[in-house]
Amino acid sequence: MSSIKFGNVNFSSSILVASGTYGYGHETASMIDVNGIGGIVTKSVTRHPREGNPPPRIAETSSGMLNSIGLANVGVEEYCKSKLPYLNELNTKIIINIAGTAVEDYVETLQILEAAGGKHVGYEINISCPNVKEGGMSFGVSAQMTESLTAELRKCTSKLLIMKLSPNVTSIEDIALGAENGGADAVSAINTLVGMGIDIKTRKMKINTTFAGLSGPAIKPVALANVYKVFKAVKIPIIGLGGISCVEDVIEFILAGADLVQIGTLNYREPGISIRLAQELDQYCKDHNLSSIHDLKGLVEHH
Amino acid sequence: MILNELAIVESTENIAANTFQTFLKSPKLAASMKPGQFINILPSENWDKMMRRPMSVASQKDGVISIIYKVVGQGTQLMQNWSVGDTVDLIGPLGNYWDGYTDKLSILIGGGVGIAPILNLTNHLDDLGENKVLIMGARNSSEHFIEHNPEYGIYMTTDDGSLGIHGNVLDPLKLALENIDFQNVKIFACGPPAMMEAVRQFSIRQNIECDLALETLMACGFGICQGCTVEFEKKQEIREHTYRNRYGLVCMDGPIFESKEIKSCHL
Repeated sequence: MSSIKFGNVNFSSSILVASGTYGYGHETASMIDVNGIGGIVTKSVTRHPREGNPPPRIAETSSGMLNSIGLANVGVEEYCKSKLPYLNELNTKIIINIAGTAVEDYVETLQILEAAGGKHVGYEINISCPNVKEGGMSFGVSAQMTESLTAELRKCTSKLLIMKLSPNVTSIEDIALGAENGGADAVSAINTLVGMGIDIKTRKMKINTTFAGLSGPAIKPVALANVYKVFKAVKIPIIGLGGISCVEDVIEFILAGADLVQIGTLNYREPGISIRLAQELDQYCKDHNLSSIHDLKGLVEHH
Repeated sequence: MILNELAIVESTENIAANTFQTFLKSPKLAASMKPGQFINILPSENWDKMMRRPMSVASQKDGVISIIYKVVGQGTQLMQNWSVGDTVDLIGPLGNYWDGYTDKLSILIGGGVGIAPILNLTNHLDDLGENKVLIMGARNSSEHFIEHNPEYGIYMTTDDGSLGIHGNVLDPLKLALENIDFQNVKIFACGPPAMMEAVRQFSIRQNIECDLALETLMACGFGICQGCTVEFEKKQEIREHTYRNRYGLVCMDGPIFESKEIKSCHL
């Protein structure tokens, strides 16, 4: 089966939906049973509201897409007022993604969310947004800053604390170790890769901010390599994501060392994909006489 | 309420040069869609693209909806190749819809990709017995499939003069507005950005009420990806799906916007 106990949290399935690809959970409620999703990581929330970047913000690529939304969000106070009440009614597990520009931003945002007393089970900390100048990327590329930020946040919550890692670094292992040493419960890997596109008719950049985050199946091999590197480097659990589009992908990530996975870009095409893949994963377990899919964690063999 | 429905292909007709109309049996969508709304189409279960293709609906009647598209890329090529009886995954109804078309004389302007929502409203006004003017712009006669009939308020324009009025849609628009109090007119337009921007600026200059249906790239179509933004002329109240007040989402705040509401039709 694909359910899993993760820290003190029981996830009904190992397949979550990634931050920024599922809004605040209510948008698809008329199409699918959102409670059937293993967990929802909500769109990045910041200390203060953000308008986001000017258009164009998205472009299609070979087996993927570029996005540069720029962390558009209502800000944490409005989040507590208008988003948390609905999220509190859901049975699926809610993880709140937090982005920031300075340690105080992250800490204050997390403290406000703690004080709001929501049912959410944890926080995923975005230290790796490539699309805003001050998107936490300075944290995401420094093991030392990742460690001290993690330690500061650790003091503020006993809920799950998950640091989201960037692939746009020299050594993702060092950053993962920083998160582990700082007291993170888990890391998620990976955020988007830096990409770019040009419209040859207009000779303009396809994305207003020039550089953008590449996601989708195009980045799956990169994500898998990074998950494996992190698995070799740390003992804490790993949430794998990056271009997952089918149950075979999910199993690959688990064999590479992931405990849970997140679906991102594919949610746009198929809002219920995380539920379908969880069912297919259960079937895979039955077909292969596995009591839990997690028995396969990190079991990839070398040549 | 947004639905995810598996529709069945009923027929596809070649209505103009490289332009097709496909009828899809889709009872739930047909019962709930209004003229101006759109659906997000997965052209094939197996395709390697990440984004569905958003398309305005050209008709919704008796359990069947139709779309009109020009074959320009892989997605529309797949659509043209659909066989009768094929299953197609649709999400809809999406976006807002035309309104205010019974209060004044409606002038409908369509062009290129924008003919579907304009045809939809045209037929709806015919059903209601409402008077209207219809203007369709194209590069040449091969792209037109409606008769140029100025006597009945139906004007075709072509860039090369091969059919109807030699010029752009503003020429018959000015003709249609002769001897009419502009306060008794409302324009509804959908087409290429340059055409819509010309209509938008004209309507603002002349102080004519004007609604425009925008088209842009979308990843989801229902407010999650925040990718299909349009800049508002003035900051608006924060809405649930837009998160902030400077940019609107074409999928949720639109696709139809008042001409004065937005900064430009070039997205």
